[in-house]
Amino acid sequence: MTASTLAGPAPASPEREVRPEFRGSAAEYFRVWIVNLLFTLLTLGIYSAWAKVRKKRYLYGNTRLDGDSFNYFASARAILKGRILAVIVFFAYAIVTELVPVSVWAFLGVGLLLLPVILVRALRFNARNSAWRGLRFDFPARVREALPLYLGMPLLVVITFGLAYPWFMARHKQYVISHHAFGTTPLGCSMPVGKVYGIYFRAGLIILGMSVVAVLGAMVVSPVAVLLPQAGWLAFLLPVLAVYIAYAFAYAYVQARLTNLAWNSTYGAGVRFASTLGAIDLAGLYISNLLAIVFTLGLAVPWAVVRTLRYRLENFAMLLAEEAVHEAAPGLVNVGATGQELGEIFNVDFGV
Amino acid sequence: MSAIPALYFDGRRSQRHPVTLLLAGGRIKIVGRDVDAGFEARRVRVSTRIANTPRWIFLPGGAACVSDDNDAIDRVVRERRVQRAIHRLEARPAFAAVAVLLVAALFWAIVDFGLPYAAARVAEHIPLEAEVVLGTEALEGMDQFGLAPSRLPQERQEELAAKLEALAALAPDAPAYRIEFRSAPVIGANAFALPSGIIVLTDELVGLAQADDEVLAVLAHELGHVRHRHVMRRLLEGSAVALLVAGVTGDVAAATSLAAAAPTLVLQSKFSRDNEREADAYAFDLMRRAGIEPGNFGAILARMEGQAPRGPMLPNFLSSHPATEERKALSEAK
Repeated sequence: MTASTLAGPAPASPEREVRPEFRGSAAEYFRVWIVNLLFTLLTLGIYSAWAKVRKKRYLYGNTRLDGDSFNYFASARAILKGRILAVIVFFAYAIVTELVPVSVWAFLGVGLLLLPVILVRALRFNARNSAWRGLRFDFPARVREALPLYLGMPLLVVITFGLAYPWFMARHKQYVISHHAFGTTPLGCSMPVGKVYGIYFRAGLIILGMSVVAVLGAMVVSPVAVLLPQAGWLAFLLPVLAVYIAYAFAYAYVQARLTNLAWNSTYGAGVRFASTLGAIDLAGLYISNLLAIVFTLGLAVPWAVVRTLRYRLENFAMLLAEEAVHEAAPGLVNVGATGQELGEIFNVDFGV
Repeated sequence: MSAIPALYFDGRRSQRHPVTLLLAGGRIKIVGRDVDAGFEARRVRVSTRIANTPRWIFLPGGAACVSDDNDAIDRVVRERRVQRAIHRLEARPAFAAVAVLLVAALFWAIVDFGLPYAAARVAEHIPLEAEVVLGTEALEGMDQFGLAPSRLPQERQEELAAKLEALAALAPDAPAYRIEFRSAPVIGANAFALPSGIIVLTDELVGLAQADDEVLAVLAHELGHVRHRHVMRRLLEGSAVALLVAGVTGDVAAATSLAAAAPTLVLQSKFSRDNEREADAYAFDLMRRAGIEPGNFGAILARMEGQAPRGPMLPNFLSSHPATEERKALSEAK
């Protein structure tokens, strides 16, 4: 491979399209999920680390790309260690910020400073513990390189009252994808910032438009609350629900379009990607998942996981220009899971 | 000797090599078109079985084989007994049904007993002084919005404070508290226990009461909140519930976070109602010691509800307090 194929546009030679597929089933995953939930409750959470590894191994092992499955081999002990630390930090945060509200600024400050470290280490942990065809992925970025992006850009977002946010998201996606590697083969990504602004602008219009509809709807429904006091809570709930649907729809729109744009702007040695997620499909998926989970008191979670994964895989393709053989990066050492667990408990979105 | 079809990856390059695994006499042989290797079987590590996901056979030196033939591998590999048991439980639909029932029972036991118990034990070890900042800020916040200085004469305030002090002295485990008198034109007749043991009594409640014993009944209930550290327990229980719910729903995308918010709200309302009942029980005990008629409590509660501004009616499972009819009936039965 040469430098020109790595950075160049789509090559002229015919490409082979490779689509991932999921060979598991919701019923099978439900059985794995419920047994692992039972053991997690029985051990007061200790087993959750092993449960996480088993669930991820099920999902990875059943995902095939070009005939071969993925493999996940994180150590449950490492995850448990990270998880215990994350739970301690979470309780300290929840209780101290409630008792002494000013302290939230101290937590926020330390959290923002640690964000680049948490992000890089979480992505590295996940990449190095994922493999395909016996070769590990890697995230060889240095924390030092992440500092200007994750310390400077959020500041810029605050100073510009959010106007810089789409730019930050474009840089974030670009950073995360372009620092991933399969073996020694790096990925490249260049996000067109203008298009990212277009996505957020249209998402803003969606929220605005649907909120107006929600408020009008609430005005129609509110007399019911006066006539039927017993149904008063329903009249209170309906507008909230409508705004939630608007939010879910805008969120799905951003997710779908941003993911598509990111993958369509990604290239590697002799490989391109195509992502075709639909905003309406994704919004329908989110809302039906939510309803199913609420009405089954949580039992639909594994079903929701499987159908979401299946939809995402169906809308992803790898376009191979040449049958490249990739090589392993030498001497990959394991990293701790604390970053990943902290990120999960505080809902940091690492996603691509 | 058994032969298992597999794929071989050397761990250095992503090329796949179709091979056959041959097992005989404690040795494993890997044979294919351009692969020919042999290892002692005990130096080879096989991944544990999870449903029908492909099995990995990790070879010394970084190479690995993968095979879809789980049953053939199970015949030659002795997995640890725990691993075999877990796989068997995961494979059986009948056990999945049993697991659903067990999970429901455990969930109920944790939420109804384990969590409140643990929170109460932990709260006992956190001094009341830890809540001082929160309590001071809460009172300042209410003073800015909704509360005004009390218009009760000084002597009347001192009289009620003295009666409360005498009542609290009868308790075997009286908590440290501080009573604050306020006028509350918007909120109306009420009393609250704030963090760090501050008890706020509104002029409107004193005005609504037909006897001081009714005021004392409500104050005894607020003392119960202070004594049982309900502020700290609500905090601990809230954080633990958030973790518990995230443990179940955490696998799904963040957009469905409402799926986590709804059960958290229901559970926290449940804890709140339990705390009210505990404070009621404390009040009844204290009233019995002081010789106050328990019916006073039900009487004042009913009158408070009668004059309270009517908000949207919440169904019972979302309400922070038990139904007033239930509490009134209890107070009359005592």
